[in-house]
Amino acid sequence: MFWLFSLFLAGITIQLEDGAVVVRGITRPGAVAVYVEGREHLPALAGSQQQRPGEVRFVPRFPLQPGLSYKAFYGDTSAILRIPKVEHKPTARVERIYPTADSLPSNQLKLYLHFSEPMSKGEAWRRVHLVDDTGKTVTGPFLEIEEELWDPTMRRLTVLFDPGRIKRGLVPHNELGPALVEGRRYHIVIDQDWPDAHGTPLAAAYRKTFVVTEADRTPPQLDTWQIQAPRAGTRDPLTVVFPEPLDAALAQRLIRVADTPGTIRLDQGETQWHFTPDAPWKAGPRRLLVGSIVEDLAGNRIGRKFDVDAFEKVEMRMTIQTLELPFIVQP
Amino acid sequence: MNRNPILASLCLATLALTPAGAANLSSSLKAGKAELKSAGPLAFAPEGILFVADPGSATVLAIDPSDSKAGQAVGDVAGINEKVAAMLGTTPDQILINDLAIHPVSKKAYLSVSRGKGADAAAVLLRVDAKGKIEEVSLDGVKHAKVSLPNAPSADAKDRRGQSLRQEAITDLAFMDGKVIVAGLSNEEFASNLRVIPFPFADATQGSAIEIFHGAHGRFETNAPVRTFVTYKIQNQPHVLAAYTCTPLVKFPLSDLKPGKKVMGTTIAELGNGNRPLDMIVYKKNGVDYILLNNSRRGVMKLSTEKIDSYQGITKQTDVAGVPYETVAALKGVEHLDKIDDGRAMLLVRGENGSLDLKQLALP
Repeated sequence: MFWLFSLFLAGITIQLEDGAVVVRGITRPGAVAVYVEGREHLPALAGSQQQRPGEVRFVPRFPLQPGLSYKAFYGDTSAILRIPKVEHKPTARVERIYPTADSLPSNQLKLYLHFSEPMSKGEAWRRVHLVDDTGKTVTGPFLEIEEELWDPTMRRLTVLFDPGRIKRGLVPHNELGPALVEGRRYHIVIDQDWPDAHGTPLAAAYRKTFVVTEADRTPPQLDTWQIQAPRAGTRDPLTVVFPEPLDAALAQRLIRVADTPGTIRLDQGETQWHFTPDAPWKAGPRRLLVGSIVEDLAGNRIGRKFDVDAFEKVEMRMTIQTLELPFIVQP
Repeated sequence: MNRNPILASLCLATLALTPAGAANLSSSLKAGKAELKSAGPLAFAPEGILFVADPGSATVLAIDPSDSKAGQAVGDVAGINEKVAAMLGTTPDQILINDLAIHPVSKKAYLSVSRGKGADAAAVLLRVDAKGKIEEVSLDGVKHAKVSLPNAPSADAKDRRGQSLRQEAITDLAFMDGKVIVAGLSNEEFASNLRVIPFPFADATQGSAIEIFHGAHGRFETNAPVRTFVTYKIQNQPHVLAAYTCTPLVKFPLSDLKPGKKVMGTTIAELGNGNRPLDMIVYKKNGVDYILLNNSRRGVMKLSTEKIDSYQGITKQTDVAGVPYETVAALKGVEHLDKIDDGRAMLLVRGENGSLDLKQLALP
């Protein structure tokens, strides 16, 4: 499957076999050195040398990379080894951005960017932009952490608005103010040039537009949630209606029905949580379990604001608690 | 990372008198094949045990890299990323150097590297010797131990379905007084997640996550995640000096880090707008301990610990600056740094042409 360019000199051949560089026709043991072509002044590839009668075999530490050429040397003999590029058509897309609502509070904390295919690391802060309603790109709205907060499959990136500009009482907040100004319209713009895991750009750029509402400094309260319970014997979804949108990832991970496997879905701008059980509901009292670290869009948790006003004596939770909301499945 | 000068010198002195000292830490390690899914922040115990954060598998790996011969640190190495890429058979744009740590005895520069940038990126540990030669730190047959980080909080882990999308970036780790301290940043909940894990690792050690609050101007408190930190003794008590994602520099006693305990940090400085703290070291000069902190936008800052010791914290709205610091103007583009000795540090510097260079710095 590789294109082979071998040099024949004094009966010595150098070629690729199953990802290894094989030198044949040698009369005494020796080593083969392999370099990225054009970078022979840099260190040779790491790998192991295997001596066999009449041949030496170099197994690179990592597979040779499609699209690159390598130069192998054995004494005075050398060969160029080209690894054909695998062409990938641009197919990766931004599927959605959470929150899906088209109005967000000025102290919005997080965005989740969902891609259809795995993406590559090290590009995020050049590829995602906040643009205001005059077409101007907002400077430094996001927390540009080098690690980049991807999920394990590299298909979801968490983007944090700079918390220094959100949290009251800090220098960035006082000097720059929040990145989002109430009453104005903004766009989250994703460049088409963002490379996927193959290094291929996205199939299309992406834009999400929203208007900014007043800052939300009210923690979510369980007693304001409405539970619409299903009937026994059905697999109709249980629906919980929140008075404000919740953080999509946390609402999907940290809210569930006790002892009941099923599927969770959010909609209506993350103000409705639906749970479809795997098996029909049985009549009787049930419990909705809610992790206390569920957040609203501004990072306020149940019972606690994102930035606690120390004069208001809000209780600070030291451990993650599971809260319960009872409901009844009627026969 | 040998970040504590007092502890390091004490331990090295102990080591010189009782060679068995090193064996005590190392004896808990078992030889075999160690595995890394990803290689993030690095830290050395003074005896040369290397801790490697592996955010991809939510673990911390401790290895004995068998590198106990005293040596010299390498001088400047231009284009270290190009050299590393060539050695790994790829191009510099496919290489991420995630951290740098100097071995406390051999003085070799250890690098944690990602080869590739997608979900299948490979983790590689490399070290650079005094002559600039780069070699891989083999994980085959290495003496090692591994500890899992405490499970992610969930309402009910038992009936969760499918694969969790939650992952935690490990933003820093350090070793002090028999404890590995790990700072994490979740891709879901926004909360401080500092863990203290005793070393040697016990079989069932999971450490415990601790929430730390810090105030600013005496009014608004938050429990934002720690970005980078250094362990340091204030009046002989071990402290953590932590830089936050939202820019304050906060101190709290190490002894306070106990599960279930509310830890209240003291905000001692704010580092300015649009700025992210990246790395910190402590060093001694003319009898005074200094902190050197590199930042994403505000260059490298130097703080005297004398002022930290006596500083009572930012408590008033008008008290904006906190502990005074000076900016080392000559240093630009510093991505990582670690201490070689009290006179020198090793820097990983991004040049204007995009190349990454190792550079020695005479500590200011």
